[in-house]
Amino acid sequence: MLRVGMVGVGVMGTAHLEGWAATPARIVGYVALDEQRAQAMAQKYGGRVYDSLDEMLPDVDVVDICTPTYLHREMTLQAAAAGKHVICEKPLSLTVSGAQEMIDACERAGVHLLVGHVVRFFNEYALAKATVDSGEIGRVAVTRLKRVNFQPRHAADNWFLDPAKSGGMILDLMIHDFDYARWVAGEVESVFARSVRTVDPNAAGDYCLAILRHKNGALTHVEGGWVYPPPMFLTGFEIAGERGLIEHPAGSSVPVGVHLMESQLRDLPAVGVPAAPLAESPYVTEIKHFYDVLTGAIETPRVTARDGLEAVKIGLAVIRSAQTGRSVRIEEVA
Amino acid sequence: MRLAIMSVAHLHADGYINNLRAVPDVEFLGIADDDLARGQAFAEQHCTRLYESYDALLADKPDGVLVCSENARHLPLVLQAAEAGVHILCEKPLATTVEDCRTMIDACERAGVKLMTAFPMRFSPPVIEAKRVVDSGALGRIYGCNTTNQGSCPKDSRAWFVDKELAGGGAVMDHTVHLTDLLRWYLNSEVVEVFAETNAILYADATDEVETGGLISLLFDNGVFATIDCSWSKPKYYPTWGGLAMEIVGEGGFTTVDAFRQKITVYSHDRGRPVYKPWGSDADQGLINEFVASIREDRVPSITGYDGLKATEVVVAAYRSAETGQVVRLPLE
Repeated sequence: MLRVGMVGVGVMGTAHLEGWAATPARIVGYVALDEQRAQAMAQKYGGRVYDSLDEMLPDVDVVDICTPTYLHREMTLQAAAAGKHVICEKPLSLTVSGAQEMIDACERAGVHLLVGHVVRFFNEYALAKATVDSGEIGRVAVTRLKRVNFQPRHAADNWFLDPAKSGGMILDLMIHDFDYARWVAGEVESVFARSVRTVDPNAAGDYCLAILRHKNGALTHVEGGWVYPPPMFLTGFEIAGERGLIEHPAGSSVPVGVHLMESQLRDLPAVGVPAAPLAESPYVTEIKHFYDVLTGAIETPRVTARDGLEAVKIGLAVIRSAQTGRSVRIEEVA
Repeated sequence: MRLAIMSVAHLHADGYINNLRAVPDVEFLGIADDDLARGQAFAEQHCTRLYESYDALLADKPDGVLVCSENARHLPLVLQAAEAGVHILCEKPLATTVEDCRTMIDACERAGVKLMTAFPMRFSPPVIEAKRVVDSGALGRIYGCNTTNQGSCPKDSRAWFVDKELAGGGAVMDHTVHLTDLLRWYLNSEVVEVFAETNAILYADATDEVETGGLISLLFDNGVFATIDCSWSKPKYYPTWGGLAMEIVGEGGFTTVDAFRQKITVYSHDRGRPVYKPWGSDADQGLINEFVASIREDRVPSITGYDGLKATEVVVAAYRSAETGQVVRLPLE
């Protein structure tokens, strides 16, 4: 019986818990800043609340880290030192060296390090990737990826808005599409980007337009932002290949329309998470996959720790490009 | 008013002739073309007169001409028309080099004739409506603009579009100037920095001379940044030729415009694939109307040769950037 310890019970932690509940794994413990919320989760999913990660480690086989990004490195090292598998939310770390340290520690300890690049588990993204891999549209030429939502709005400690804690919008949000671009079109060679907050940290919103050049000559355009009026969250993609085109325009696959006379803004979530009515949420699919990897049913995870590291590199290169106004090669941030 | 078309190399000539004929009190004289077969076919198809030469056409003393030759061949025709004292509406891009643009502008100024660049999208009602939103200030401080002007490779309509010498380039030359012009118009600001990446994976079987994919990043003098996707990313069997869309994002919200969204989708057994049929207003008609009006009212047209030059300058900078991997600053030396 795989024993799971949750660290963090925020938006992502909650999504992961739903996933674990759909596996044979047992959720044995929680460590969280918000103890009240952790208690509520324990009520719902079983297990108990621990005072610290150290205290919880002896009782678990895998630690699921859904904490703010700046805590990922330290917690992963701690878990690896105890010989525990790690599931870590994206981005893997705020720095290349941090991510590398995490990978090395998990390798030395002989434990898995699985990164929550959940977009790879979204049906539409996985289907497009499979379509590209089938050769149906030939060699990928120009890909366009879009992910724009509203600014995260936590009542207290809005760590998302502190670049020292989250890496900012580029590292926190756009990293999904950096990972996807690399998955679909191959290794990235260089990037060029312009963004609002990298040059004006006090701007009300954040928006970035990035161009990636892949080693095989393919190009990817990535649009990201915490800038839309709440509760709007749009994602979309377009993949143009030598022999065909895949389109998934933003907002085009919303199957249910709800239009009310009175605004329901009071139910606004703290952080935008794209939603689609499916029999199984992508977060559940992701956790089920991780479960299969951890129990040996699947040998190679759909997203590796190195994928997580490479996405961080692209993100940091994009930030540096936006700061310096020049093209940045990936090696420069390695 | 008497108008004519010099060269029908550009496929837009097919539409312009109908636009010209639709303007009240305009007499369409005919066309001339250095490619006799092309001129004959066009004249027959559109039931119009084919002059034996550009000289013969100009000798008939039109008030204005449309120059629709290949991109790199606009210059000689514009100079010839200017010398004859004829007003000119020149197809986009105005020229393939900034020097050619300047030569054209100078010649037209000296001759006292109008030089207008054919940027019809400024007359697209959806584009005008979105500009109204921008002008209203509702978006507050504008951060960035994500724009696309993609299409299928136009080689099947006119082979010269993939001829590096005649077209001056591929997708970047074909599709960058419209959005550059619209962004200058919307933002009321000039481009100061250009970065571009290009490749040639799409339509690799159609050309080994020019780029078929391109992503361009622009920085404007007012701090707003934008990207233009000029790629020929639509396959030949796409339901339409391509499209032009912009998303303008600011502190107060965002506005989107899809200039060709007004269409119906038609599925027919005969065709075996869906096609879009546009029902929006014809922007080209607005362009032609403005050219005619500027001559009638003897005023500067709303789009000038200078606008054409500034758009070409961005294209030239984009090629330079794609070649060097560096940001290129404007204005060019």
